[in-house]
Amino acid sequence: MERLGELGRRIWFLLRGNRFNAEMEEEIRFHLDRKAEQNLDGGMSADEARYASRRRFGNAALLKEKTREAWGWSALDRLAQDAKFALRALRRSPAFSLIVILTLAFGIGVNTAIFSAVNALLLNPYPFPQPDRIVSVEAQHISGKNSNTGYQDFLDWQRQNAVFDAMAITPWTGEYTLTGQGEPQRVAGGGTTPDFLRALGVQPILGRFFTADEDRPGAPRLAVLTYSAWSQRFDASPTALGRTLVLDGQQYTVIGVLPRGFAFPGIETCDFFTPLHGASSLGRTQHQYGVLARLKPGVSVEQAQSDMSTIARRLEQQYPATNTGWGVKVQPLSAALAEDVRTPVTIFACTVGFVLLLACVNVAGLLLARTSGRAKEMAIRASLGAGRFRIVRQMLTETVLLGVAGGAAGILLALWLMTVLRKAAPQEFALDTSLRLNSAVLLFTLSVSLLTGIVAGLVPAWSASRAEPNSTLKNDGNAWGRARSRNRLMSMLVAGEVALSVLLLAGAGLLVRSFVAALHIDTGLRADRVLTFTLDLPEAKYNSKDKVMAFYRDLVERLDQSPGVESAAAIMTLPMSGGMTGGAFQVEGRPKAADWVDTMVQYNASIPGYFHAMGIPILRGRDFNQQDSASSLSVGIVNDTLARQYFPGQDPLGQRYKDDYDGKWRTIVGVVGSVKHQQPMKPPVPGVYAPHAQWTSSWMTVTVRAHGDAAALTNSARAAVHGLDPDLPLVKVRTMRQVVSDSIAEQRLLMQFLVGFGVFALLLDAIGIYGIVDYSVRQRTREMGIRVALGASYQSVIRLVLQRGTLPAAVGVLVGLPVALAGSGILRAMLYGVSPRDWAVFLGVPAVLLLIAAGASFLPARRAAKVDPIGALRCE
Amino acid sequence: MGKTEIPPGTLYMLILRSLDRNGPMHGYGVAQHIQQMSESVLQVEEGSLYPALQRMLIKGWVKAEWGLSENNRRARFYKLTPAGLRQLSAEVKEFARVMEAITRVIQPA
Repeated sequence: MERLGELGRRIWFLLRGNRFNAEMEEEIRFHLDRKAEQNLDGGMSADEARYASRRRFGNAALLKEKTREAWGWSALDRLAQDAKFALRALRRSPAFSLIVILTLAFGIGVNTAIFSAVNALLLNPYPFPQPDRIVSVEAQHISGKNSNTGYQDFLDWQRQNAVFDAMAITPWTGEYTLTGQGEPQRVAGGGTTPDFLRALGVQPILGRFFTADEDRPGAPRLAVLTYSAWSQRFDASPTALGRTLVLDGQQYTVIGVLPRGFAFPGIETCDFFTPLHGASSLGRTQHQYGVLARLKPGVSVEQAQSDMSTIARRLEQQYPATNTGWGVKVQPLSAALAEDVRTPVTIFACTVGFVLLLACVNVAGLLLARTSGRAKEMAIRASLGAGRFRIVRQMLTETVLLGVAGGAAGILLALWLMTVLRKAAPQEFALDTSLRLNSAVLLFTLSVSLLTGIVAGLVPAWSASRAEPNSTLKNDGNAWGRARSRNRLMSMLVAGEVALSVLLLAGAGLLVRSFVAALHIDTGLRADRVLTFTLDLPEAKYNSKDKVMAFYRDLVERLDQSPGVESAAAIMTLPMSGGMTGGAFQVEGRPKAADWVDTMVQYNASIPGYFHAMGIPILRGRDFNQQDSASSLSVGIVNDTLARQYFPGQDPLGQRYKDDYDGKWRTIVGVVGSVKHQQPMKPPVPGVYAPHAQWTSSWMTVTVRAHGDAAALTNSARAAVHGLDPDLPLVKVRTMRQVVSDSIAEQRLLMQFLVGFGVFALLLDAIGIYGIVDYSVRQRTREMGIRVALGASYQSVIRLVLQRGTLPAAVGVLVGLPVALAGSGILRAMLYGVSPRDWAVFLGVPAVLLLIAAGASFLPARRAAKVDPIGALRCE
Repeated sequence: MGKTEIPPGTLYMLILRSLDRNGPMHGYGVAQHIQQMSESVLQVEEGSLYPALQRMLIKGWVKAEWGLSENNRRARFYKLTPAGLRQLSAEVKEFARVMEAITRVIQPA
C-alpha cells in the first residue's frame, strides 16, 4: 500500500470508509479499556476507573470525527451527512416539505416556462446563420404606418438595390386540399420567390429550391417539401424527388426537401413551398407581401435603409398614382418581429419574477416558523459542539435540498406549461416551433432553484444559529425575547408577501375587468346561437363562377331546411376571424383620391340572408336577394360608418361607387350597421358588401343561426356539406362566440396567466399567514392560559390572535396599494373599457386580502381560545 | 511536577522515535511510552495522538496492522516505514538545530 502514494491512499480510504469507522471504534475502545485497567491497578473502583478513563479521553465522537478529518474527505463527508440529516428532518414533517416543494415548484416552473418563452421570443429567435444580417423590408407611409408591399414594388426593390445578397417575399400561405394520398386532407403551403432560402442562409438537404425562370407566370408547378412533410408523406425517401402531389386538383412536382427544424414565424404549418408564379399580375396598391432580405457583407442596416429610400423616391416619381407617400423601412428581422410581443412578454417576465419572489418569501416565512419550533434541537446540537457555521450549513442544506426538489418538480411543471403555451400563444408569437427547454433554460432553472434555496434559507438559518443553548434549553426570559424578535421578522415577511400580492392581484383584476368588458362590447352583431365554418372549393373541381355559386346556393338551401336552423348564409371574410380584405373606394362624380391609402375600405362579399343570420341591422334599403345575379345591375351595401364618412347628410341609397374588384360602378341598395372586424376593442372601419353572385369567392365562411345551441348543429352542418361534396373538409368550425373570444386570445392568455398567478398568490398568503399565527399561538400557549385563567373571554382571545395575522396583512396592503396604483399605468395598452385606477379593483383587492388574512388566522385563533388554562400552565 | 502538553510540531517526532526504538506498537503503547520515557512530564492527548497517527498513515511514514496485544486483545499496531525513518532523522536533526539556537538565546549572559 505504500506504493499507492498519498492520493491513492486517500481514495483507498474513501472506498473502505465503513470499515474505517469500525476499526477506529475498536481502537478507541481498546485504549479506554487499557486505561481503565491501569486506573484499577492504581486503586480506583471499577466505575470510577472507567469514568476517569473516559473523562481523560475526552469526547470520543469528536475524536473520531477529527481523526476522519485527517483523511481530507470530510468536506464531502459532511455534505453527505448534512444531506442525510436534512432528508430525515424533511421526512419527519411531510406536510411542511410538500407545501414548500410545491410552492417552489410553482415559482420555479412558471419562471422556467416563461424564461423559455422569453428566450425563444426575444433572446434567440432564429436558427439561421448570422441572423443579425437578416432584415425585414417594409413599405412605410409618410403617416408613419408600416405595411407589406405590392408585388411590382418588390420586383423593383429587388432589381434596383445594391445592398442585399438576396431578397425574397415571405411565404404567402394558403390552404390546399391534398388528394391522391388516401383521404383528402387540408394542407398548408407557402408561395414565395426564388431567393427565400438564400436570404435565410439555408440549403435544401435534398434536391434544390426553384429558380427565377421557374417563378415566371405559366411555369410548371413545383413544390419544395419541409422535412416533416417529406417524412410523413414520402417516408423520408430520396425517391420523393420528381414525384407529384395533387393539390386542389393540380399536379405539383417535388424538387427539394428542407432541413429538419426549418422554421420561420408565420409559416409553421406549411408543408411545402411553391413559386408565386401569377403574382406578377398584381399591382402596386395591393400591399400583401412581406419582404425579407440578407445584407451584403459589410453593409450596415443604415446603408441599406438609405439605398432603399433612394429607390422608393424614384418609384414615387415614376408611379405617382400608386406610390405617392410611400417610403421603405429596413430593420433587423428580430426587431420587426419582437416589436409586437415585447410589451406582453415584459409584463409576463415581471409577473413571474414577482411570483418567484413571493414563493421565496413564503418559504422563508414557513422555514422561520419551523426553525423556531426546532430551537431546542438546535440548542442541543450547539451544546454538543456544533459550531455556528455548522448549524447554518445544516439549515441551508435543508433549504437547498428543498429548492432542488422544487426545481425538479418545477421542470416537470414547466414542460407541461410549455405545451400549454405552444397551443395557447397567439400565432404571431410563433412559439409552436421555437419553444424548447434548452441548456440555457436548464442552467437558469438550476441557478434559480439553488438561489431560492439559499435566499429562503439564509434568514431562518441565521436566526437558528443565534440560539444560545443555555437559555433556550431552560426556556427562560431571554429566549422569550428572541422569539419576539423572530415574530417581528415573520410579520415583516407576511407584510411583504401581501404587498407583492396586491401588485399581482391588482394587475389580474384589471385584466379580468378589461376582458369581460371586451367580451360585452357591442360588436355590431349578435354572436349568440351562431355556428361558423369555412369552406374552400378546390379550383380543379369548381372551375367556374357558376359552379361555385351553385354550390353555396345549394348548401344554404340544405342548411335552411335542417332541423334546428333558423337561417343560414355565408360571408367571404368573417368578422373578428383575423382576415381583412380592403382596397380603394371611389364615389361616382367625385375625384379619385390621390392617395388611395386614405380611402381604403373593407371589401366583403355575402350571400343573401347573412345580415339576418348574424343579427346585423339593415338600417336603410334592402339585403341582397336571388335577383342580384352576375348579369343583373351591379349592387352594393355599405355600412353606416362609411355612410357617415362619405355621405354626411345625404341619402347613400342610389349612389354609385367603384372598388378594385371588377371596376364596375355599384349602386348602393342598402345601409347596414357597422361590425367590429378585427377585435371587439378596435373601432369599426368603413366597409362595403357585394353580393356573392357578383363577387364570387370560392373561399367562404358559412354562418348558421340556430334556434337553440349553435354547437349542436355541427353534425348536421357537416352532413349538409358532405351531402353535396363528400371530399370537402370543414375548416375552423366554431361558434361565433368562440370567434369573438379567440380574437382577443392574446388578452385572454395574459389574463388567464395573471388570474392563475393571483390565485396562487392568495393561496400563498393564506398559508403564510396561517403559519405565523399558528406559530405565535403555540409560542404563547402559556400566555393564553393565563389570560383565560384570569377571565379573558372567548371573543377577546380570538380578537387578540386575529390581530396577529391581519395586522401585518394590513401593513402589506398599505405598502402595496400605492405601488400598484403607481405602476398600473404599464398595463394601459392592454386594458379596454377600464381605467388603470379602477376603483373596484383597488378596493376589492385589499378587501379580499384582508378577508383571507382573517380567515387564515381564525383556525389557530379558535384553538387558542379553547386552551385549557390548567394544562397550558402546567406543560411548561 | 505538573504534566506538560507536548510542544507543537514535535508529536510526529516523538511517535516516530517511539516506534523506531520499540518496533511496532499500538496507540496506547505509544502514549504510555512517551509518558514513561519523559518521566511523566510529557502527556500525550488521545485527541491529538490518533489524528496524528492517521495523518502519518496518509503520509506513508507508518503502516498499521492488526495484531494481538500483551493481554491477548486485538489491537492496531503501527510500524515505521523506510519513509518514516527518513522523516525521523530529518525531524531530529531539525529539532536539534532549533533547540541549540533556543538554548543560545536564553543562556544567561
